[in-house]
Amino acid sequence: MDSQIRKIHQQLVSKQISCVDLIQEKLNLLKKNSYNSVNSLLDNTALEAAIKVDTKIANNETIGLLEGIPFGIKDVYMVQGTYTTASSDLLKNYKSAYTATAIQKLLDAGAIPIVKENCDSFGHGSSSENTIFGAVKNANNPNLVGGGSSGGSAVNVAKDYTVFSIGGDTGGSVRQPAGYNSVYGLKPTYGRISRYGLMAYASSTDCVGPIAKSVEDIRIVLNVMSGKDIKDQTTYASSEISEENILNTNTIKTVGYFKNFIESDAINTQIKSDFLAAIEKIKAKCIEVKVLDFFESDTLVSTYYTLAMAETASNLSRLDGSNYGDRVDNKNLKESYAITRSEKFSEETKRRIVGGNQVLSQGFSDEIYLKGLALRDSISENFEKDFEEVDIIISPVTPNTPPKIGDSLKDPLAMYLSDAYTVGFSLGQLPTLTVPQGTKTGLQITAAKNNDELVLKFANFLKDTI
Amino acid sequence: MSKIMTVDVLSSIKGAQPSEAVNKLFDVIKNAQPTNNNSFNNNHNNAVSLNDLREDVVIESTTLEKQIIKENFPKEKNGYLVVSKIIEE
Repeated sequence: MDSQIRKIHQQLVSKQISCVDLIQEKLNLLKKNSYNSVNSLLDNTALEAAIKVDTKIANNETIGLLEGIPFGIKDVYMVQGTYTTASSDLLKNYKSAYTATAIQKLLDAGAIPIVKENCDSFGHGSSSENTIFGAVKNANNPNLVGGGSSGGSAVNVAKDYTVFSIGGDTGGSVRQPAGYNSVYGLKPTYGRISRYGLMAYASSTDCVGPIAKSVEDIRIVLNVMSGKDIKDQTTYASSEISEENILNTNTIKTVGYFKNFIESDAINTQIKSDFLAAIEKIKAKCIEVKVLDFFESDTLVSTYYTLAMAETASNLSRLDGSNYGDRVDNKNLKESYAITRSEKFSEETKRRIVGGNQVLSQGFSDEIYLKGLALRDSISENFEKDFEEVDIIISPVTPNTPPKIGDSLKDPLAMYLSDAYTVGFSLGQLPTLTVPQGTKTGLQITAAKNNDELVLKFANFLKDTI
Repeated sequence: MSKIMTVDVLSSIKGAQPSEAVNKLFDVIKNAQPTNNNSFNNNHNNAVSLNDLREDVVIESTTLEKQIIKENFPKEKNGYLVVSKIIEE
């Protein structure tokens, strides 16, 4: 399998390259920051770690598969001693006091973090333009957006600045930028990877997600990060996914797709015809394809945003400039809170906090928030029924190709609606992978809860099919 | 408690107003028909079993952790957080 991780591991072990040279080469590429994908470089710690790896190799000690592999981290993860800004003005000087569980597991495996990556502030966006570090430029065309919210992470992987990157996916924030930049991006089943140390956006759908250039690299990184964590009590114990299991692709018999995603007026005609062509190729492999009914896109988007805004209003209420973050002092504490939040949050973040407080307030919660929760239950029930009928659901990642930089900020509603195909799977807490195939912005592969293995298996099947 | 709090007060954001784009999303919810009206998250219950709760123990932070937490205080005097003036109401 075309694994970058395995290839570099071999080069390190056989002394074709030194770890210091490898890390330095990546740092040099990132230093130019041509795509605005970098918030801060972790150059000193990375080079120190690389020297240790080279010493082990020189002493003929065995090194692990991830040892010495350079990777990137979306700037919403705590890594002790590094700036963790969430691409926001409020936290631009905030330093993590501790390290996120998912990242710690990668560090324990010997992988070397080299960069904290640009993203939409607090994950609030689908274009990586809502950031104080400049809009992330698309890896394929720098006039277009990098996608979001994990835009910097997807671009760094696409440009080979990092071997893999760790993004965060609440409503599509790993899958959509992966699609926009033609790489793989996985949102695992909710709870498979600990969220401890991931800055909370919407806690009930927040997922840690790897972005890489091959299914095999996604598998390797997923296995390392997965597992129950006492510090995140929504996590569950999962078994390791073996390479062998996901190579045996002939167990998949039925695939479904949502009719209304494809028959919508909002879908780009090329994406539609490419998607349908991909379906034909799957059928040609003797796999039964079923057309499924699903909720209208605007219901999915509205349900997701209602719940996500309510959760973010609550999660971000701690950011008032008193314990950490930049503070703007005023006549008393209450005024200081309000002035700090007014001046230091972006327009999009404020829009979401206000929306969240609207739906949580008396008189609105029954009509909107509680109804949103009921809709979410209906959506989950719908998925459960679907997975009695099919093994896999496939869908486009986005209705359209990436917009030009500047367009999304002008029209927030259009940006929300562009998440139409990703948010439903977030609400269902289902494992979903973007593969850079099929349409211009890729395809999404979804399986039933806890069946991340089947998603990777189908991705291997698609690699040889379309 | 009968005081009506506007969204700017609830959000602690000066001059905050509900946005038109977000209100359009909420209108969709108001008009939607869920197949059930039970909002107790039956299908995605992430609650932790009582047998599986973590131990209620105090974990001492490392020296480095404490030092970084102090560094993050916007203002500090003799080891204490400094605030402008407490709320008097």
